[in-house]
Amino acid sequence: MYLRKSMSLMGALLAVIATGAEGRTLIQNKGSDTLVNVAQAWAEAYQSVNPDAAVAVSGGGSGTGIAAMINGTVDIANASRKMKDKEIKMADERGHHPVEHIVGFDALAVFIHQDNPADTLTIEQLAQIYGRDGKARKWSDIGITVPGCKDEIVVVSRQNNSGTYAYFREAVLGKEKYRNGTLDMHGSKDVVDLVEKTPCAIGYSGLAYATEHVKMVCVSKDGQACVSPSVETAGNGAYPIARPLMMYTNGEPQGEIKKYMDWIMSDAGQCIILKKGYAPVRPVQCN
Amino acid sequence: MFEISALNQRNKKVERLFRTLFLMMVLLLVLPVIVILATLIIKGGPIISFEFLFTSPTDGMTAGGILPALIGTVWLVSVALLVSVPLGVAAAVYLNEYAGNNWFTRVINLAIINLAGVPSIVHALFGVGAFVIFFKFGTSILAASLTLAIMTLPVVIVATRESLAAVPMAFREACWNMGATRWQTIRRVVLPNAVSGILTGVILEVSRTAGETAPIMFTGAAFFLPYLPESIFDQTMALSLHLFVVSTQVPGVPEALPYGVALVLVTMVLIMNSLSIAFRVYLRGKKKW
Repeated sequence: MYLRKSMSLMGALLAVIATGAEGRTLIQNKGSDTLVNVAQAWAEAYQSVNPDAAVAVSGGGSGTGIAAMINGTVDIANASRKMKDKEIKMADERGHHPVEHIVGFDALAVFIHQDNPADTLTIEQLAQIYGRDGKARKWSDIGITVPGCKDEIVVVSRQNNSGTYAYFREAVLGKEKYRNGTLDMHGSKDVVDLVEKTPCAIGYSGLAYATEHVKMVCVSKDGQACVSPSVETAGNGAYPIARPLMMYTNGEPQGEIKKYMDWIMSDAGQCIILKKGYAPVRPVQCN
Repeated sequence: MFEISALNQRNKKVERLFRTLFLMMVLLLVLPVIVILATLIIKGGPIISFEFLFTSPTDGMTAGGILPALIGTVWLVSVALLVSVPLGVAAAVYLNEYAGNNWFTRVINLAIINLAGVPSIVHALFGVGAFVIFFKFGTSILAASLTLAIMTLPVVIVATRESLAAVPMAFREACWNMGATRWQTIRRVVLPNAVSGILTGVILEVSRTAGETAPIMFTGAAFFLPYLPESIFDQTMALSLHLFVVSTQVPGVPEALPYGVALVLVTMVLIMNSLSIAFRVYLRGKKKW
């Protein structure tokens, strides 16, 4: 009795599942945690632009997106770093041909606690703090006294598959490795949250993650005047720790994917990335 | 007659001491449950509304509701149950009713125990390799639910086996003596008498499946989807992943939102559990021994 009833019930359910509706074009979009909030905003806004297409957004990091592109499980991979030659070769071998599109620029802001009196830091000082061979382990090593802090610098970094982690290392440390004993956070927001609560801390994250409870330092490179991170200084290349944000498509985009990419590059799409705190690829007028 | 000896008195003291000690342990166990529920209700309660439950997220997921995640979790759990319950019950029936005590059965038992011990993130990687890439299901409800089903299979098998073993042997013998076959006995006597125990396994599975994040993160759950899933080949949002996303990945989320999501997840599991428990109590009332 029980068995027959439950079996027929199961059959009915399976039938319902099998007849699920199709018809809408689904665009798979995955990758960079830096870009994920912009990608989500694009997907949300695109609903009303083109109801025939739907964009599914997932995060996980640039590495996740690039791996998915190599495996052919996404239509558009988001990355906050360029694909390595080795990765492009691996994709080619599997019959996928990644094409790069720069969709905006990101400035990595260096965050310190509000009570920290420092206003300017040089790239060299940052390398002293973050590098394995760096000498700065205490705030006094770079001539700063932080109220409410016992002098030891709390160095906040990111987990090593993050594009932000890779880019900050490239821009600040060059070939040098990160020092041991950094606190590696699993999201840009976590970095800012931690710095907000820790007087001794220093951390880096995308400009978009800034809050009014943390301080962003003005960064100078090669003895030049310091530049504060902002949408303008990221876009015009003045800020020393700014990078392009990329979307990779499999081959030149076609059909619905092309429509979506074109819309992202249009004024409407670029205004969304601006609103999220990143720099657009060209000056746009937004209301 | 009997004097209360010093030894006796000491024994009584020790007795009281341990009684109190164990009672404290029990209270200590209940405490986290109360604190968690109270925090969720106080911090997340105010945000719960009809709109929160039945609309999609808006403004970069900092406002609006959680409908796609709620529906997604229901999909994931239902499809996982559809796969693991028949499979798990069938396996348990074989192991308890048919299998002899030989090396083959022992190997299977060992495999089930090991499957239960595999960390969920390993199941996730297996799911990506097997269902997403090899079987080409893509990141979909199907791939995610199959991963969840494999992960929770041991729970169903173990619970079912125990409840089958609890059906008195005399029931089977009586049935066989009437000339019934093994299958007739299982279908008419053993399974109906074991249903309440099987449900216990299902309850445990539902709770675990609804809460898991790692196995679905790579196999089928999306950060954001602008529509509700329509078939098992669609991706889906899920409450557990949504909770992770709004608490760690999105800037500017109001503080109550993650608590609200957590409260909905916990309430959903509690409701499902209470329903099955009520059903179990009803069935137990009809038990014949």
